Amino acid sequence: MQAKGFGVLRPLHGLPFVVGMAVLLGLLPVLHSRGSEPHRMARMAATPPSHIYPKSVEAPIEEITSAPPASPDVHPGAKHPANHSFDGHGKKRKIFPVLDVDYTHVRLPFEIALWILLACLMKLGFHVIPTISGIVPESCLLIVVGLLVGGLIKAVGEDPPILQSNIFFLFLLPPIILDAGYFLPLRQFTENLGTILIFAVVGTLWNAFFVGALLYAVCQIGATGLSHIGLLANLLFGSIISAVDPVAVLAVFEEIHINELLHILVFGESLLNDAVTVVLYHLFDEYATFDKITFTDIILGFLSFFVVSLGGVFVGVVYGIIAAFTSRFTSHIRVIEPLFVFLYSYMAYLSAELFHLSGIMALIAAGVVMRPYVEANISHKSHTTIKYFLKMWSSVSETLIFIFLGVSTVAGQHRWEWTFVISTLIFCLIARVLGVLGLTWFINKFRIVKLTPKDQFIIAYGGLRGAIAFSLGYLIEKKHFDMREMFLTAIITVIFFTVFVQGMTIRPLVDLLAVKKKQETKRSINEEIHTQFLDHLLTGIEDICGHYGHHHWKDKLNRFNKKYIKKCLIAGERSKEPQLIAFYHKMEMKQAIELVESGGMGKIPSAVSTVSMQNINPKTLPVERILPALSKDKEEEIRKILRNNLQKTRQRLRSYNRHTLVADPYEEAWNQMLLRRQKARQLEQKINNYLTVPAHKIDSPTMSRARIGSDPLAYDPKPDSENLPIITIDPASPQSPESADLVSEALKGMSRLPPSPEEDEDEEGLVMRTKEPSSPGTDDVFTPGASDSPSNQRMMRCLSDPGPRPEPEEGEPFIPKGK
Amino acid sequence: MGAESSLPFSAPDMEAITTETGFSQANISRLYQRFQALDKDEKGYLSKNDLQGIGELAVNPIGDRIINAFFQDGRETTDFRTFVHVLAHFRPVEGTVGSENINSRLSKLKFAFQLYDQDKDGKISRAELLQVLRMMIGIQVTDEQLESITDRTIQEADRDGDDAISFEEFSKSVEKLNIEQKMSLRILK
Repeated sequence: MQAKGFGVLRPLHGLPFVVGMAVLLGLLPVLHSRGSEPHRMARMAATPPSHIYPKSVEAPIEEITSAPPASPDVHPGAKHPANHSFDGHGKKRKIFPVLDVDYTHVRLPFEIALWILLACLMKLGFHVIPTISGIVPESCLLIVVGLLVGGLIKAVGEDPPILQSNIFFLFLLPPIILDAGYFLPLRQFTENLGTILIFAVVGTLWNAFFVGALLYAVCQIGATGLSHIGLLANLLFGSIISAVDPVAVLAVFEEIHINELLHILVFGESLLNDAVTVVLYHLFDEYATFDKITFTDIILGFLSFFVVSLGGVFVGVVYGIIAAFTSRFTSHIRVIEPLFVFLYSYMAYLSAELFHLSGIMALIAAGVVMRPYVEANISHKSHTTIKYFLKMWSSVSETLIFIFLGVSTVAGQHRWEWTFVISTLIFCLIARVLGVLGLTWFINKFRIVKLTPKDQFIIAYGGLRGAIAFSLGYLIEKKHFDMREMFLTAIITVIFFTVFVQGMTIRPLVDLLAVKKKQETKRSINEEIHTQFLDHLLTGIEDICGHYGHHHWKDKLNRFNKKYIKKCLIAGERSKEPQLIAFYHKMEMKQAIELVESGGMGKIPSAVSTVSMQNINPKTLPVERILPALSKDKEEEIRKILRNNLQKTRQRLRSYNRHTLVADPYEEAWNQMLLRRQKARQLEQKINNYLTVPAHKIDSPTMSRARIGSDPLAYDPKPDSENLPIITIDPASPQSPESADLVSEALKGMSRLPPSPEEDEDEEGLVMRTKEPSSPGTDDVFTPGASDSPSNQRMMRCLSDPGPRPEPEEGEPFIPKGK
Repeated sequence: MGAESSLPFSAPDMEAITTETGFSQANISRLYQRFQALDKDEKGYLSKNDLQGIGELAVNPIGDRIINAFFQDGRETTDFRTFVHVLAHFRPVEGTVGSENINSRLSKLKFAFQLYDQDKDGKISRAELLQVLRMMIGIQVTDEQLESITDRTIQEADRDGDDAISFEEFSKSVEKLNIEQKMSLRILK
């Protein structure tokens, strides 16, 4: 078994994993055999795998596994009477069962949970054992695992489950699409929208018809024995197989870190071609029953394309606006904010599917529309929650999809026709290449930055097919298309080929061709300013030329947005915050953290006692000198930065990368940063001020937390005035209790420092307030808060206090040279 | 389209413009039509009022600066040649272009730099940057905030420590931006 093989490589690491896997895999078939004893309800709803799966949305979902009640129901009758106490008409008196097994009761959720657990363990395994995952993309490994599991189940004698189209479209696909849509890099997307649309619409149409027509031609060749397959059937097949799959593209492209332009082109195409696929599929499906198509049918089909795509977008926009509007009022119940985002998006998807509109486009539109407003309204913890939940769900979904693809391959009935399959494969590849070449030639006439042949190759090579094609194929009704098994076989072959061959080779090819990779650099404030400046400049020049171009409309939209929409959809003061300011704040905080880190983060002396912090006892000075001391200049820098007027800010997710959720390296360092700052400040205070500490009671950490935490103002989200913007900083999460203690101690110690005499600097400073450290908000920590309490003022002054005489030493540049 | 007959240039002038700016004849005649449309009193040249009459420019934060870019050396009027000359900076770059071409990356950047550097001393001083930021961000932000942003910006970009951004520093700080794409208008191809 593959798990054992990995275990050999790293016996120690892999052992628990191996054991877990063995247990899991052993469990599955056993449970299957037990579960296939028909429960009464299950019996009625059970459908054999080859049965037509109902297309309606309301299909019963009790059967996640389509394992038929193979074993006759003679057995259960004998086995169950003891368990069904209500069943008996008091036939015989049985012994009261002390320990009872009633698997059928929990069968469905149990199996679902088991599958998801399997998927997660797989993911874990691949990262624990990195050697393979460096060569083979994760999606391939997952399909292999699926094959093995399916094989295992079959070996035990049961029928493995097939990926039900319903489950796929309703539960597995939406999280992935929502994740993609919510974090879509909008600027690049809109800049390349024309290109993406042309690839998506024209490219998919071309693929579908090319493949369909050629396959029809091949089928007509008598030697193949396939001449009974009509043109429509072939066109249907062509439309199914021609769509580039977002799941597969994401899975593969995420790992190769290709430059953003190519990523957004291929990925955007895979998203937007859903409309085309939906229309074509339904078109050919409907007309399969009719013998000939009239001209009106074609016109109607054409029309339905616009309805489907624009309708989907419209539905998404409506839900997005409603979600944004709702989020405006959620300031009092922050905990369910993420749920609104998820639910509204899911409703958008379902509503679109309800009308046979493009659910994917609805989902994307909803995510894109709601995001700027929702993010301005919700708390940062909610923002983090949304981010993590989306990544989590989409990861799990993707894993499950690939595993199920493997299992379904084993489970399904296949009909292998050499000619059909091979010609499908060849035609798909040729169609893709020709399509990309032709369209790029056309598009390059209109693009300012042309697509080079290298780009074109990657775009063509990145046209992966995936589970959507399989599910659509699975949806075909057998009574209309009796060659369904053959289609499925061909689809699976193409999927396997693209995912395995293209997926595995794309990484070395990218390296070989020296395709530009993603630039992992942060945006500097200069870039941001100049980008905005140039936007305005170009808009002005366009106006002078009298040309209503890209910039003009973007500018108009921005203005409209600022004037009307933001006021409606964003709560409170945030509606007026300029983008540059938000960006600036974010940067400043990051830099502050970095500076502290570079100023000698080292390790926190774990033995720093809380008592010493409070007493400011000269005896403890030597202990604290162990801390790597921040140079005065650097400290000055930090203080200066943090002293600045900062309005409430948000941390925006800049680029979209599914797998590296740790795009914030500051999460762990945040607590330490706070701590450092407090300590450094205190150190300096002590050295310079020789202040005496007023006698305060030494609180225990919990007391202090309670005291600060019970400050009602700490929870007040309403900002009070523009003159006194505030940063509220969350101390550590409970996962690191030690640092939480230290931080709260530090802050407590802070609050004890009396207002220092040098208050002639009439500047507004930072207000530090601790919130209860029970929520994991460690990655981004700005929430609005009020500022009026005297303790705040005191803290503020303390923080802004630079010491006796702040020498304006700016000799050291902010970013240390050579760093 | 008989463009030559409607233009007040002779053929050699037209050639000169074409070589200087790289516009095609069709583009030049189109721009001339726009020039005439802007020149409401048919003076043959544009005054600042004419350009300020464009509605959208009035709401553009840096509209004034853009207009001033057309009026070099403090002149009050601009003729068609200057008009076209300025617009030529925004021609898309096709293939490799020598850096002395008017639409090369270098000259695009120089043009943008000029808009920042009003006193033409070759540096963007702190005050000038502050001005630009104030124009772009508007009135919601206090002076202090703007100053800190300015400080930060200069700190990031300034390499020779003169507390101002020279042209080299400017180009370095935007090297990651795709200037050829950002500062090109497709219509001016």
